[in-house]
Amino acid sequence: MLKILIPTLMLIPTAWGAPAKWLWPTTLAHSLVIALISLTWLKNMSETGWTSLGLYMATDPLSTPLLVLTCWLLPLMILASQNHTALEPLNRQRMYITLLTSLQFFLILAFSATEVIMFYVMFEATLIPTLIIITRWGNQTERLNAGIYFLFYTLAGSLPLLVALLLLQNSTGTLSLLTLQFSDPLQLTSYADKLWWAGCLLAFLVKMPLYGVHLWLPKAHVEAPVAGSMILAAVLLKLGGYGMMRMIVMLDPLTKDLSYPFIIFALWGVIMTGSICLRQTDLKSLIAYSSVSHMGLVVGGILIQTPWGFSGALILMIAHGLTSSALFCLANTNYERTHSRTMLLARGLQMVLPLMTAWWFIASLANLALPPLPNLMGELMIITSLFNWSWWTLALTGAGTLITASYSLYMFLMTQRGPIPAHMIALEPTHSREHLLMALHLLPLVLLMLKPELIWGWAY
Amino acid sequence: MNPYILATLLFGLGLGTTITFASSHWLLAWMGLEMNTLAIIPLMAQHHHPRAVEATTKYFLTQATAAAMLLFASTTNAWLTGQWDIQQMTHPLPITLITLALALKIGLAPVHSWLPEVLQGLDLTTGLILSTWQKLAPFALLLQIQPVNSSILIALGLLSTLVGGWGGLNQTQLRKILAYSSIAHLGWMILVLQFSPSLTLLTLLTYFVMTFSTFLVFKLNKSTSINMLATSWAKAPALTALAPLVLLSLGGLPPLTGFMPKWLILQELAKQDLAPTATLAAMSALLSLYFYLRLSYAMTLTMSPNNLTGTTPWRLQSSQLTLPLAISTLATLLLLPLTPAAVALLTL
Repeated sequence: MLKILIPTLMLIPTAWGAPAKWLWPTTLAHSLVIALISLTWLKNMSETGWTSLGLYMATDPLSTPLLVLTCWLLPLMILASQNHTALEPLNRQRMYITLLTSLQFFLILAFSATEVIMFYVMFEATLIPTLIIITRWGNQTERLNAGIYFLFYTLAGSLPLLVALLLLQNSTGTLSLLTLQFSDPLQLTSYADKLWWAGCLLAFLVKMPLYGVHLWLPKAHVEAPVAGSMILAAVLLKLGGYGMMRMIVMLDPLTKDLSYPFIIFALWGVIMTGSICLRQTDLKSLIAYSSVSHMGLVVGGILIQTPWGFSGALILMIAHGLTSSALFCLANTNYERTHSRTMLLARGLQMVLPLMTAWWFIASLANLALPPLPNLMGELMIITSLFNWSWWTLALTGAGTLITASYSLYMFLMTQRGPIPAHMIALEPTHSREHLLMALHLLPLVLLMLKPELIWGWAY
Repeated sequence: MNPYILATLLFGLGLGTTITFASSHWLLAWMGLEMNTLAIIPLMAQHHHPRAVEATTKYFLTQATAAAMLLFASTTNAWLTGQWDIQQMTHPLPITLITLALALKIGLAPVHSWLPEVLQGLDLTTGLILSTWQKLAPFALLLQIQPVNSSILIALGLLSTLVGGWGGLNQTQLRKILAYSSIAHLGWMILVLQFSPSLTLLTLLTYFVMTFSTFLVFKLNKSTSINMLATSWAKAPALTALAPLVLLSLGGLPPLTGFMPKWLILQELAKQDLAPTATLAAMSALLSLYFYLRLSYAMTLTMSPNNLTGTTPWRLQSSQLTLPLAISTLATLLLLPLTPAAVALLTL
């Protein structure tokens, strides 16, 4: 574990000490090596369920895919940020890389934490670099409001979580994840216990986000620079899912009754946010609402508490992480050329940038969960487990799948097909860097088709 | 100010607090408190500005009232129990009176109204002394008395955190913002006083470090209002980069030091089965966080290449020592991993 953490920490002196010409190649190479070594985590051979067990950090089949995704995303973020920060003073570029690295550091500690308070502290710690990235490097004045919404929505959910965790520590005596699953089931009968249940889950529901407390997400995703959007969509949302999957083990049997309204919110959110996507003019906003939609399915999968539900949730989290990040990178290629996120202003790009259209095509297909990609596997497992719980959910999830397909197709057709507008006369050809970025996003997605056991979680 | 007079006043300040620390007799404690008040009065009025004189007068009146109430309560205690020892108080009436008197001394809600106005009239250095040193002596006394009525302390604490949060939201003057921040932090300290006095001391000391950093940041930038913060990127770029972290530490965000007292206090409240109190106190911290975030927006996060929020000033060489600020900033940001050591060291 330390052989990943310490190199990640050393990336900060690398960012500050590298000569100007070599800043981006060096940090990219360094983070790629870290990402490659992190793949060794995927080998979960332990009988106790926990591998790489240390005093404070351990990995298990639930956290390793998310950890690998986090480590994989840092080189991608560095690749994506190279162009839009090129005009800034050197120190500011170094600061940007430092922020991305510190985010990575906190995320690794969060996903590998064995003690829930450590997970909480790291969960909150990721807020500060993300806030700084959004409000300092965002491009419009709305970014200030976005930062406030982001910070306060998350904190309003997570402060009750802190109190709930401390109450749990009081009653069980420990908060170590290694032993918490073996502690005596809690006697949860009073009204206060129901509030405690809600307190445990609210923070993660806000983070996922659940429809209803999702308002921070479109603002934050849209106003953030590309690296911010990438890490938000790919990993920070999954922190909520991961937290929920860890906490829900202890919340039986209340969850059987109390999760009802939240499952309904989640499924209704799939439909509502999908429908909103069909009416979006802002490309990044469309991708952001699409994230809410997919995460609604994940919330449903987790709250249903079946093996297929959990596996489906984890698979969808990983697949969605890669897909959503790829879509934000694609949107950024548009933004860097036209400095506008309005879809109307950047149409018909297949005429001008045909190779990029290939990437748009694959990313849109992944977004609408085309078989045999892992996106479908996750969605199908969740839909099946929800169907098993209640046949009526099929109406919502089926309609959700249909709407997802519609807006993914809409996004593809709007940006790529059709006539090119008259004002687009000098678009830069696609950089190799951008092709590499997209390949590095979508290739793992395709490779995961060949070995899906890596992201099945506990069911493997 | 004449260095001899300044030395005398500072010596008086130190002596007053030390006398209160060392006393076990109520009269001696009262004397130390009065010495502190008297010593700081000339420091507050040194600029002979009407606003400073107004602040001095308000401070004197409130502190004198509090000290008189303290004297009256300790006399009543002597009458009722026959002894003057600070730690041997048993009768509830004098204990409650003394708690309220000390609350007026430090500026807890609902007797907090003097603090923003007094702090606003002072220069930043004297304001720093008022916010930090002047709180030590009353807390030394608060830590020693055994509280009788648990609800009064919790009420004072919760009310202070809420008042500190809401009061600071409408302020543009930095000293008033720091006053409300002080009220909020004092609320947290009082909240846990009856359950774990060592946590009160820990919160007090971390608050000292954080507020010391904040005052020095403002002093270096010579800024007293939010608008004036906008030019700090030109005066001290590295400090401008660190200042949001200092402010977020004041707000209690992990992984910064300011999270440590909040976490430990919430843990203690959870152990005492006071979950609604804990949740309410935690949520009130969000109010304070809003105006700390506003300050960091004004100072750093709206820097160029975005539109400038202020005109560029002359970049004159600052004669302020930066070593204290450097040390306190380090402490404000990086002490969270040392929580077990802090808890172990500060066991009363």
